[in-house]
Amino acid sequence: MKLLDRYNRSTILLTVTVMLFAAVVYYFAIKLVLSRQIDKSLEVEEREVLDFVRINGKLPQVFNANHQATAFALTQVPITRRMIDTTYMDVKDNEFEPARAIYTSVMVGPQRYQVTVVQSMVETQDLIKVIFLITLGLIVVLLTALFIFNRIILANIWKPFYIILNQLRSFTLSNGGPIRPINSSIDEFSEMNEAVITMAARAQKDYQALKAFTENAAHELMTPISVVNSKLDSFVQTGAFTNEQSLLLSDMYNSVAKLTRLNRSMLLLAKIENRLITDKQTINLDTLISDTLNQYDDVISGLNIEVKTNLDPKKLDASLLLMEVLISNLIGNAIRHNTEGGRISIELNQHHARFANSGKEKTPLEVQNLFGRFKKSASSDGTGLGLTISKEICDHYGFQLSYQYVNDLHEFVMTFPPAG
Amino acid sequence: MGHNSTFPTFLQNLILPLRQKTVKLLVIEDEAGLRESIEGYFAEDGNICETAFDFSSAMHKVSLYRYDCIILDITLPDGSGLDILRHLKEQEHNEGILIVSAKNSLDDRLTGLDLGADDYLTKPFHLSELKARVAAIVRRKSFDGNRRLRHHEIDIDLASKEVKVEGVNIKLTPKEYSLLLYLIANKGKVISKNAIAEHLWGDSIDLADNFDFLYSHIKNLRKKMVEAGGKDYIQAAYGMGYKFAD
Repeated sequence: MKLLDRYNRSTILLTVTVMLFAAVVYYFAIKLVLSRQIDKSLEVEEREVLDFVRINGKLPQVFNANHQATAFALTQVPITRRMIDTTYMDVKDNEFEPARAIYTSVMVGPQRYQVTVVQSMVETQDLIKVIFLITLGLIVVLLTALFIFNRIILANIWKPFYIILNQLRSFTLSNGGPIRPINSSIDEFSEMNEAVITMAARAQKDYQALKAFTENAAHELMTPISVVNSKLDSFVQTGAFTNEQSLLLSDMYNSVAKLTRLNRSMLLLAKIENRLITDKQTINLDTLISDTLNQYDDVISGLNIEVKTNLDPKKLDASLLLMEVLISNLIGNAIRHNTEGGRISIELNQHHARFANSGKEKTPLEVQNLFGRFKKSASSDGTGLGLTISKEICDHYGFQLSYQYVNDLHEFVMTFPPAG
Repeated sequence: MGHNSTFPTFLQNLILPLRQKTVKLLVIEDEAGLRESIEGYFAEDGNICETAFDFSSAMHKVSLYRYDCIILDITLPDGSGLDILRHLKEQEHNEGILIVSAKNSLDDRLTGLDLGADDYLTKPFHLSELKARVAAIVRRKSFDGNRRLRHHEIDIDLASKEVKVEGVNIKLTPKEYSLLLYLIANKGKVISKNAIAEHLWGDSIDLADNFDFLYSHIKNLRKKMVEAGGKDYIQAAYGMGYKFAD
């Protein structure tokens, strides 16, 4: 729920409650005041009657006016004076109206008369109705005004918040600029903005330091690795080895080779992430793919893999090195994880490149971990960085790299951004 | 590479055997371990291999002496190898230059090649790869029009990539051809399977079982050469590599 809605809901609920309560209080207060006034006018009428009887010794002439009626009736029993709610038959309108009546008695000579004065409350009711309607109208107007006002004011007040939020949302450690300061006279937002700017700058700085460290570490490692490598090459020239020794040497060679690959991959990854590879040239992706396939043709035919290609000419502006790495990774993957007598199908058109291969795994791979670092299948002898690098390269050029498992084939689809 | 020899062809052919035997090399490398390995690997064949460990001693040597090939590390403690390269090109010296660098950076590679370096090798590398690259550079530099490589009864036309054994044309696949050149460049040396595999397939694909494919290439190459009447030069070395007999 948006803060605005939440706020609106609270204020509206509060306003409605208060207004309704006020309306009820208002209604009863007005009703009380008005019925008291009626009672008073009934008493005035009563006194007039009593005064008339006392002075003149007879009943006054009865006349009905102004929704008021007076009636006299002979009675034997004494009547206690009381006021009651009753109805009043309006002769003109010919309808019953709510009314207030006073019952009292008067002695005209020896005779006891019951005096009834009825006062219609229709005017009071009308008044209350009007007041009630006005109150209701007021509530509606107030609510609408509040609603619109809140919307406009809050949306304006919260604007800096959304600016910051959007910046945070698009913020990336690797290649984003700093968070831009906002112009807000509201302290809370200014403070938040400041805090966010500081935090983002610190995170970026730490990340840069970490990346620089990774790159430097990988770079520094290259020298000792190359010494070990060359010493191994020199060592194997030194004479006859026993089987055991040559096995040890083979293992060393393999491990150094793996270390080299790993280190090269890490360096490359650091370079891509640091955007250090900026060269661009027009690359014919179709030729690159078929060249890469040719490079591995002996491996492919050795494993009896059936390769189907459907390559449309496709030109790209990119770094040749990165594109070679990308294509070679994807094709290498398709070969490495394939089975003997398996299939590889490569399709290239203007919109996407699809690399599909049969594999030892007969179930879809876990997509979540697929592009993560050092994630690899148990059987894989790779560095675990191949797909990470591929993904980074794709991100670098705005391609989408996705994976799916269709018809028993593992598919990596590289979608190019729309031209333009 | 765009280098024109001033020697007439018949003279080239005369000095060719000589040039093939001794190659004068300069290794400019600040890392002692690596420098010594390279020196040892090249010197064994009777090549003359001099070394320089920093920028100033390297500049000193390249101003005084001429070499067939210079193995040049770009990152030196007191200067950039690229400046040595610039100096050599300004002086219009025709040394073959192979850049070795720990930076697998395309910029360095392009700058190096733009400045006139003949090849670029990224550390870490196998000595056999270095030797094959140096051999290729020396070959290119020393006999332009007549690019033939001979090893006893094996005669390779480098331009047309034709291989003759005892005068008989043998048909090699591109990988077998590349393998043969690699082995000949490192004749008499034990070359690890890793080094050969990396040479043939590059290092981007790390197939655990590409040694099987390597084995079948070796087997086919041997068979083709022996069937044509050649000697069986390729020997398996202790199960971890191969050796091309001299």
